[in-house]
Amino acid sequence: MTAHPDAPVPVTTDLDTGGFWQAAAHNRLALRACLDCGTVLHLPKVMCHRCRSTRSGWREIEPVGTLASWTVVRAALHPAFPPPYTIVLVELDAAPGARLIGYLDGAPDLAMGQPMRATFQQVRDQVTLVQWSPLPAVISGPSPDSLVPDLS
Amino acid sequence: MSGGWSLRDQYAISGVGATDFSRDSGRTPLTLACEASLAAIADAGLAVEDIDGVVRADYDSVQPGDLAHGLGLPNLRYWGTSGIGGAAPCGMVGQAVAAVAAGLATNIVVFRALNGRSGLRLGRGSAVQRAASRPVGGNGGYEEFFLPYGLIAPGQMFALLARRHMAEFGTAAEDLRAIALVARRRANANPAAQMCARPLTEADYEGARMISEPLRLFDFCLETDGACAVVVTSTERALDGPNPPALVRAVAQGSGPRPQAGTFLTALMRDELLTQPSAAVAELLYQRGGLGPADIDVAQLYDCFTITVLLQLEDYGFCAKGEGGPFASSGALDLDGSLPFNTAGGNLSEGYLHGMSHVLEGVRQIRGTSTSQVTGARTCLVTSGIPAATSALLLRAA
Ligand SMILES: [Zn+2]
Repeated sequence: MTAHPDAPVPVTTDLDTGGFWQAAAHNRLALRACLDCGTVLHLPKVMCHRCRSTRSGWREIEPVGTLASWTVVRAALHPAFPPPYTIVLVELDAAPGARLIGYLDGAPDLAMGQPMRATFQQVRDQVTLVQWSPLPAVISGPSPDSLVPDLS
Repeated sequence: MSGGWSLRDQYAISGVGATDFSRDSGRTPLTLACEASLAAIADAGLAVEDIDGVVRADYDSVQPGDLAHGLGLPNLRYWGTSGIGGAAPCGMVGQAVAAVAAGLATNIVVFRALNGRSGLRLGRGSAVQRAASRPVGGNGGYEEFFLPYGLIAPGQMFALLARRHMAEFGTAAEDLRAIALVARRRANANPAAQMCARPLTEADYEGARMISEPLRLFDFCLETDGACAVVVTSTERALDGPNPPALVRAVAQGSGPRPQAGTFLTALMRDELLTQPSAAVAELLYQRGGLGPADIDVAQLYDCFTITVLLQLEDYGFCAKGEGGPFASSGALDLDGSLPFNTAGGNLSEGYLHGMSHVLEGVRQIRGTSTSQVTGARTCLVTSGIPAATSALLLRAA
């Protein structure tokens, strides 16, 4: 998939969130974490909501996760995103509770709880999106809707 | 803090007013706001000179000074803004109650005006529309984590919650359909509703186009041009008015135990995806009001989407977590059910006034003047939007 010229691109220089995009530009997944208490600060921000420290840094995270939900978009809302396409919500295995969004072309077969792996999509010079691709499901069946996997 | 809320029943909504609801108003939001406010002021038996306060919503293009200028308010002494977005209306009433209670004003107009269909359409992703060709995000809004992936509109976010609810609890499309159909039947009885003359059948619902799976066209609310306003004052003064007041038994705002930044997409980062700030607000509201879900005669539940209603049914304690689907399908929400809901048609079928029309319909139920009146209704729950934060009201007959 190549990025559409009209696709929104992320600000990569924000003082709270910029490190995420700088890591992505090096094909790495990094989350902000508190240097004092270790809490993952996602969505990224300097201030730790647990211990109120402002000493935080970026922690590289294994780029694997679990599918927490998805939607196949069938209605056109924006020229950069012609339907159908699929939005995935992925929970990171190494940082439970931290989630990221991904875009998939079309309407692929997906199952709740399916393992997902990050991919890195360069969309502009120095701007790379973290995307998510499904790995073979640990569970399979006739219909994703009929499955109620263990999401804990 | 035990016991209730010290201001219980002491402040009231004394007047309500609305414009027509349409797809193209042909007027500015300011004109709409002025029209709705004048109607509410007249309904309260007051004159423009009696209004000394204004409360607006953060998403409104009309500023307090704009309304004062538009109406020629000679005695404006208090103004305020509440939000966020659709979470505003009940909290706006609460802000007006607080201002009157504090002696900062006596009669406050609370309004919401928008050209939500002919102007900026929130359902099409307002942030991405505003961004044009600039990079998105930064400044604490976190849009950079969502918009570049094609997640740009509220319906897509709620579709993710609906899919998750279906997977965890076995909720079915038929459960969402039941919510859409009940709202439409109430709109069919309401001449002011945009869908008044348009019945909706099960086949219509199922045959409608999918927008963002599993949500179809009729799971989405009706983007609308129009305005709504109410007048908030003391119960003592409201009782002198020409119409029965709706007493504010309790009001509450809350963001829940894990507040999120931004507008709505960030709610996908909350620890618990399927429990909304409504759960915390419900607890506070019931405690302040000294009432519980069993005491509610009729409910006006914010319904930007059908799934929004289903989540609130659980959070406000009308059924257990996960049971929203069977509850919605049980007939409980219909006019003869245990919890008649959105008796004017709601956001889904009356018009999307960003939750403000729910406050007006709550007052009508308390007055006994709804086009789908619940016999003997004395207590009405009104809720405002989710997911970023929310607010709610308990209205009571005097
Ligand atoms: Zn910390």
